[in-house]
This record gives sequence, structure tokens and C-alpha cells, in this order.
Amino acid sequence: MGLRDDLERFREVGEQRRQDLSEFIQYGDLGQSLPHEIRIPIKIVDLPSFEYDQRDQGGVGQGGDGTPDVGDPVGQPQPGDGDEPGEPGEEGGEHEYYEMDPEEFAQELDDELGLELEPKGKRVVEQKEGDYTDITRTGPASTLDFDRLFKAGLKRKLAMEFDEEYVEAALKVDGMGPQSVFEWARSENIPVSRSWIEDAYEHLPAEERTTYQTIAEMEADVDRTPTAARIREEGIKDIPFRREDERYRYPETIEEKERNVVVVNIRDVSGSMREKKRELVERTFTPLDWYLTGKYDNAEFIYIAHDADAWQVSRDEFFGIRSGGGTRISSAYQLAAELLEEYPWSDWNRYVFAAGDSENSSNDTSERVIPMMEEIDANLHAYVETQPSGNAINATHAEEVERHFGEDGSTAVAYVTGPGDIVDAIYTILSTEDNE
Amino acid sequence: MSKPTTDRADKQRIAESLEPIVTEAHELATTLGLDPYPVNYWIVDYDEMNALVAYNGFQRRYPHWRWGMTYDQQRKQRQFLGGKAYELVNNDDPAHAFLQESNDLADQKAVITHVEAHADFFANNQWYGLFADDPNAARMLASHANRIESYMEDPSIDREAVEKWIDNVLCLEDCIDQHRPFSTVEDWLEEPSMASDIEEKLEELDLSEEVLGQVFNEDWLESQRDEDGVATFPTEPERDLISFLRTHGRQYDEATEKAVEFEDWQREIIELLRREAYYFAPQKMTKVLNEGWAAYWESIMMGEEGFAEENEFIHYADHQAKVLGSPGFNPYKLGKELWEYVENVTNRRAVVEALLRVEGVTWRNFHDRVDLDRVHETLEPAPMVDRIRSDRLDTLDGDDPRIDGDALERARDGEIDVDRFPWKLLTYEGMAERHYSLVKPQHRGFLKRISQGTVERIARYLFDDSRYGSVDEAIEAVNHTAGWDRMYEIRESHNDVTFLDEFLTQEFVEEHSYFTYEYMETTEDYRVTSTDVEDVKKKLMLRFSNFGKPTIVVEDGNYNNRNELLLAHQYNGVMLDVQQATQVLERVFELWGHPVNLKTITKELSENDIEVARRRDSEPTPEEVGKLLRYDGEELSETELPWEEVSHLAATDVDYDTKPEEWLA
Repeated sequence: MGLRDDLERFREVGEQRRQDLSEFIQYGDLGQSLPHEIRIPIKIVDLPSFEYDQRDQGGVGQGGDGTPDVGDPVGQPQPGDGDEPGEPGEEGGEHEYYEMDPEEFAQELDDELGLELEPKGKRVVEQKEGDYTDITRTGPASTLDFDRLFKAGLKRKLAMEFDEEYVEAALKVDGMGPQSVFEWARSENIPVSRSWIEDAYEHLPAEERTTYQTIAEMEADVDRTPTAARIREEGIKDIPFRREDERYRYPETIEEKERNVVVVNIRDVSGSMREKKRELVERTFTPLDWYLTGKYDNAEFIYIAHDADAWQVSRDEFFGIRSGGGTRISSAYQLAAELLEEYPWSDWNRYVFAAGDSENSSNDTSERVIPMMEEIDANLHAYVETQPSGNAINATHAEEVERHFGEDGSTAVAYVTGPGDIVDAIYTILSTEDNE
Repeated sequence: MSKPTTDRADKQRIAESLEPIVTEAHELATTLGLDPYPVNYWIVDYDEMNALVAYNGFQRRYPHWRWGMTYDQQRKQRQFLGGKAYELVNNDDPAHAFLQESNDLADQKAVITHVEAHADFFANNQWYGLFADDPNAARMLASHANRIESYMEDPSIDREAVEKWIDNVLCLEDCIDQHRPFSTVEDWLEEPSMASDIEEKLEELDLSEEVLGQVFNEDWLESQRDEDGVATFPTEPERDLISFLRTHGRQYDEATEKAVEFEDWQREIIELLRREAYYFAPQKMTKVLNEGWAAYWESIMMGEEGFAEENEFIHYADHQAKVLGSPGFNPYKLGKELWEYVENVTNRRAVVEALLRVEGVTWRNFHDRVDLDRVHETLEPAPMVDRIRSDRLDTLDGDDPRIDGDALERARDGEIDVDRFPWKLLTYEGMAERHYSLVKPQHRGFLKRISQGTVERIARYLFDDSRYGSVDEAIEAVNHTAGWDRMYEIRESHNDVTFLDEFLTQEFVEEHSYFTYEYMETTEDYRVTSTDVEDVKKKLMLRFSNFGKPTIVVEDGNYNNRNELLLAHQYNGVMLDVQQATQVLERVFELWGHPVNLKTITKELSENDIEVARRRDSEPTPEEVGKLLRYDGEELSETELPWEEVSHLAATDVDYDTKPEEWLA
């Protein structure tokens, strides 16, 4: 035992106790993650204790150059209460991160929510190389199947080997010349060549050529050792590798369908979308993106922000934008339809996710949005209503969409009033898609 | 951990080269009035240092992943700091301090002076005495390590179960009664808290049979018991959760789904961890005070007394600036500033008292009659203590109380390098004058800044008001040790809370630009709310009282008459981190065996309230709601409670909210 053990245990415990996935989605620091590397803070590995609510506690700060004025923003709470190890005043509480790739994330989310989303293959990617299981007689040296060559050589060796002493002994029988020994050897299934016998006979001193009277006498005197036993005793000096035994491995050709997905994320950025609502959207959309990235071979994302008009933005901007204007959700679907032309339905799986507080300009939902949702081919359309304080009176978009599509397998509507609803919303969305 | 980068011989060599420095530092510290535990210094390499930091300055701790976590963080953080000077000393007699071999000499010296001051604090602050006068810490922690290791290696006990058990207890490590002297659980038990002692108590009261019969009759006694014959307990809310659980807790047995007695090892682990919590509590309670103390004396020794040689000094100053100059709130810096402030205020008071005793000087005419610039000049230390040089030894008087007569003799014999160590010729009085705070360049103006109001307050308690004929005569009589004397008293009796409560003033808060901030629901950020000393003090109290944590007590060990545990959060206006609290409850269940409950008060705000406030450009006032959090072994629940069930928990005396009144809707 000792610190080395403690460190090891920490790593194990950290792995086990990284923030629970649904907890992470609801409350975790999503911002530390990259699209292809999900970083779940495992600070939670440290033991819980009775603490004050950080926001409610407030705190004390010290001005650098003079005292700031009352009302000035101070940024994030100033850290460094000396509890953290390390130099005093140093930014404390560096988090440990547990890193997941999107595949692992998708797998875990499947396990946790009991999802069974099977991505469909669409576009055919020609002549994908499969495993190197086919065989040819020629090929680059690096693909030579040496195991096979060696085995063939060994077989050959076994077939050619014979007990030299035994054959020699046959030559020592009175009256047996090379010709009669060759015939005898053949009848005994000894794989010896005629020339070897002739050669051996010549080197045999004359007086030894009459050592035995008969074959029977020789056989009684000399034991014939089987090849396998002899090899085991003496080993093999060389293996006869032959060109004709060479085989080259070759990849199987597989016709594979690539599983492509394009995900359209639409967000209402109008004035009514305050910080809490914005954060709920981010917490719902981000795991969906990760999940689909993990499920599909190739995932592409389109981000659309809208108020009364819609425009395309980058992912980095997407969750931060805040604008002033009114709301017309159809503007976003209009733009989505245009952008999706580049991703033909025949080749691409499509998901269109929209989120907002259900406020929309009058009749826009029924007259424009719903028809467009029907028109845009997609595996799934979803609308996520983020309304922390329940419904506002004129916020009916989600209801209208839900009423129109009902239990349709390609449209999901989810309501998120607080972080506690997020995991349910994700489940609702991901379990709606028809898997036929 | 990894291969040592230096072999023992190298460390030995460094240690030997530092020996004279350690001796000098100790001598200097003693001359300054410090009275430290003896300190053993160890030279360690970078890895060993990180390991020691993880173990809180000790070589052996019980096996636990938390040390591994700290070690890992430590390594990562210090990489960025270049693994520079780190000061580590543990509270023990003798204390053990660790010096990193890669530090250069200036850093080593700084660390050593710092450590001497810490060792003085450990030895003399009374809060450390609450645990034990002789902590014997290294041995205690090592023996705990042995016990726990033996349980982990015991084949009849599941190692994971031991680890989990430790986790359960550690969640409550701050739930002790840190203001009471440490006593073992057995002794704790003897303190009468159980109502089963009632009859015994009644006997002690020696009441007449009549009274007993009328008032304390069987019915009354019965009413004090539940059906098992045990009265509701604890009779008073209990702060020492660990002791309470150790005494009355059960473990939950999954197989039988019942609460069963603790195993011996479980009970013992609770006790060991509780003892460690009490051992470390004083350090957590005196962070500002102790770190400020060490930083203060370090700067006197290093900066003013030239303990670092000139070529080292720049390096030192650089390091010092990095440690204390990092942006934001820094409790160590606050500590040092407040110690200096206390010193200045005490010295100033002594000067003003002397001046008010000059014939004809009153608080009304103080600022007119007294030329404070001249006073300032007069206060400058005498050349005898300030300019000691080998060629001026004959000007020194061995009989002056400020001069160490024996040392002067030896200096004259050439045994002391006077130019290098002038302080060796001085006594505590001499040093106090030499380092007199009011005349230091950085405190120039402190004396002059005194307000008439303050002078008046000082005058109020002054009787003998015409003792001196002239200002010069009065200043001559000013005791230069007043500041230090006061500091030594404070370091003996105070902790962070009492220190801040007593000495924080508006003058201090303004001079050092402290302010409070709060979270704004409408703008969703933190804003400066006040620069008033009372507000700053409140927020600091929140941060340093009770380890900066909410107070949780045991209210009922037989809640609902079903052996359930009821904890209560003594709500001071700041709500709990509810999420963490429920996680703790899950673990408390493991230590109780029956369902556990926690009463608390939360603040609730609807989106609509915030929206309304935002339109009015004000902050919404949240509604306070009683809540019962409950964990029954399987499920967590949260139910609203009628206000009368929690009203006794809500404190009304202090409002920790520092938002200006006019901001509130």
C-alpha cells in the first residue's frame, strides 16, 4: 500500500464515479467538450458534503486598483480559499476529466435510456476493403502468408525425409544392389531417390556390403525410426520453401453502405429566449448531437438561428446568439429546406431539431411550419419547447405541432421546463423514430 | 513514487548546508519573540514533496483514493508553477517541515522563516490545544494507517466495503463540534445528553418526594420516553454527527433488509476518522490567522532583517509577489494585511494615548496641537538599534534594555559578524523598535490618517491626562513593543472568526479595497453589492465560520417514532446546495441503517418573479420554503413542509444578504 496504490484507486474510482451521464447532461459543464471528445468532469468523484449553495452564498473580493463601484459586475466568483492544494491564491479546483468519444457516449446513453436506434445505411460507398481473407498466388511481399508457406514447407519436408541409416543398412545385405534396395524402399514407402541410394552404395566400403545375410536379419538388427520421431530428436536443419507454396493475402471486397447523417439544429434566438431557456436548449441539443455523431459513420451539422428571419451560423455562435426581433419559425424551416438540398434524402439520414419557447407569429405554425415539416423528408422532426415557467398564453407552437402529428413516428415534441426534464426530452426524441 | 532524482547523499549534502541557516533562523525567530516547537527539516525531491502534500504533510496515512486524487492534481498544478518553492510543515511536536531540494537558497530561507512562524503558531494557539497539548500526530496517523490497512488485508472483510465505509464517514468530516475540546467517543457519551439519565439527574437535584411526586411523576417520565423506554434523543440538537452516528447508528444489511449492529471494524474506523477530523480542525479554523502570521514574520525576517542576501533578495521578492499578488480574494493576503493593520492600530493607539496625556492636548484640539509629521520623525528607531555596524560597536550600551549585553561582548571579541547579523546584538525590545511599524515607508500616513472620532474614542477611557509636559516627552515614553505584544496575545487566543470579527474595520476594508458580491437573478451574473465593513464581515463570517459550511445538527434519532434519523439545517439565510446534501444523505443512510431525513429551508423564485423584477430594474425577493429531504435506502424524496415545522431553524439575527435595500423589489 502507499500513495501509488492510492493513485491507482483514484483512477479506478474516477472511472466508476465520473459524473453520471444524465446528471452531466442536466447540470454538467458541457463547455469543456469538443465535438469529438466528450469531457465529463469527474470532480464529482470527490466526496459530497453539506455545503452552501454557491450562488446564494455570495462572497468577498478584493479590488486590484481601488475598490470597484457597487453594481459593477465581478465575473465569476473569485476562487482561492486556500483549501485547494497548491499555491495560495492559485486558481483552484482544476477538474479532472473523464474523456469519452461519441461512440462510447452513444453506447452509454443507449444503456442508460434503453434506446435501440439502429442507424440506416444509405449511400453506397464502393469497393470498401474488408478483411484480408482472400488468397492469391502473387502479391506484395508484405502480404505473404508466411504461416501457410511454413506449414507447406514442413509438410514437404516430412514427405521427403527418411531414415538414412535404415536404408544404408539395407545396402549392407548380401546380394542387395542399388536397384533391389530402391525397389525394396518403394515397397516400404520410404521416400528415397535412386541417385541417393547409388551414391550411398558407392561410399559403402566393400567389406560392409555383406554384413547381413538377409533383409530379415537386417530388420531384426536395425530399428527403423519414424520420421516424426526422428525430427523430434534431431530437429530440422532447413525447411524447403518453394515458390509454388507461396500464397498472398488479399482483402475481401465489400460493398458497404455508409451511414450518413445530417442534423439540422434550429434555435429561436428572439428576445423572449432568456438565459435559462437558452441553456436548456443547449443542454438538450448538445447530447443529441453527440449521440448521433457516435451512432453514424459520418455526421454533419447545420445550425440555424432565427427570430423573424433565419440565418445559418457556426456551432460556436449557435448557442450564444441573442437577438431582439419577433419570431417566425417558418423562416428557419424555409432555410433548412434550402440547405438540405445538398443532402439528398436518398443518400442521407436527416434529423431536423428545432427549439424555442413555442412563441410564434400568428398562424405561422399551422399555415407554414406544419406543411413544411411534412414536406421536408427526414428520419425525424422534433420540436423542443423550453419554457421554464410553464406555458405562456400565446406560446402554442409545440401544442399545435403535437396535435397535428399525433403519434406519428417521425415527429417528436418534447417539453423542457427545467434541467430535470432534459433526459426525458432526449429519450422522447430518440425513441420516436420509426425503426422500420 | 517514481525514481528519486537525487540520491540520499545529495540530500544529505543539501541538508548539511542548510543546517547553519536553520540555526540562524531559529535564533532570529526567538529574538523576535516567537516560541516555536522544535522543527525537523527534511530535504525531499519534487515527487516526494507532492506525495507529502497529498498526505497533508505526513509520511503515512491510511489507504484512500482521495490522497491519490490530491497527488494527481498537485502534480498537474505544480507543473505550471515550475514546481517552485513550496512550504510544508505539519503540526506536531517536534514539527516536521519539508524543503524541496530543487529550490534555490533564497527560497529555502524563505520557507524556513515561514515554517518557524507556523511552528510558533501550532505551539501557542489555544485552538490547537483543544485536540491535545502534545499532538503526537505522526504516530497517531501512522497507527491509524496500520489499523485500516489490516482491515483491508483481512480476508474476511471486503476491501471495497472498507473503502466505501471510509467514504461515508469522510462526507461528514466537518460535521463535528470543533469548538469543544476533543474527547474520545466514550467520553463524549458520558456527557449527559441521553434522557435515560433523567432519573439519575432527578436524584442529583435532591428534590423532596412531594415535588417529585407532583411534577416529575411516572406519567411525566413516561412522556419523556418512547415505547422502547428511551426518551427522545438527543435532548439538545447535536452538532457532532460523527459521534452520534458512531453511538446510535446501524448499518443496513442488504440481505435481510434490516438495520443491524456495526461490525467492530466499522465502529473503529468511524472513531479513527473522527479523531483525525478533530486533529485537523484547528488548522482549518485558523487559516487566515496562521498563514497571515507566517507571511508577516517571513517578511520581517527575509525582507527587513536581510535573512536573504542581497543577490537572493530579488529572487525572493519576485516569489513573494507571485504568492501574495495573485488576483482575486486571497485569504493568506487578507491574513497578512490584517495582522499588519492590528499592529499599526495598536501602535497608533499607544502613540495617541501618550499624546492625549500631554498637558493641554484633548481630542478636540488633537489635530491642531500635535504636529504629527514631527511625531513621525521622533518615532524613528534610535540609531542604536537601527544602524548597528562593526565600526560603531563602541556607541552601543550593553546595559540598555534594547541591547543584548552578552552578545555585545562577543561582538566586540569578534565572535559575531555584526555587519551580516546586526540583529544578534538586540533584544526583543530592541527588535520591536528596529521594526516599529508606524515609521515603515509602506505605512507612512497611517498615523496621520487618524480621524477625530477615533481620537475621541481613545480619549474616552483615558484618565491620567496630563502626565507629560511636552509632545517629545510623551513620544519618548511610547512603548515600541505594544504592537507585537498585542499580536502575541491575539495569536494565542483567536481563530479566524474571532480575529475577523474583532479587527476588521471600515478603515481596513477601504484601504485594501475589499467588497462583497452577490449573484443577481435578473442579470445572471455576480455584482458588487457593498463596501461596508459590516457587509464584508458578514460574508467573511459565512466563509470562515464552521469551516465555511452550513450547520447541520441531529434533531431526532427516533423521528416519527420509527427509528428514523432527522437532521436539521440551521438556516442562516443562505440555502444549502441541495444536490450535494441529498448525496450526503445517501451516505448517512449507510451509517444509520434506517431512513434519514433532513429539514432545511430553500429559496424559491419563479421565472415570472424574475421577469417582473427585471422589468422594474430590481432584484426579486425569493420565497423561503421549508423542505424535507428524505432517503429511505432506495429513493430520494423532497417534500414541502409547513413553515411552523422549520421556523425554529430560521435565524433572524443576521441577514447575510448584502444587496442594497433599494435594489430589492
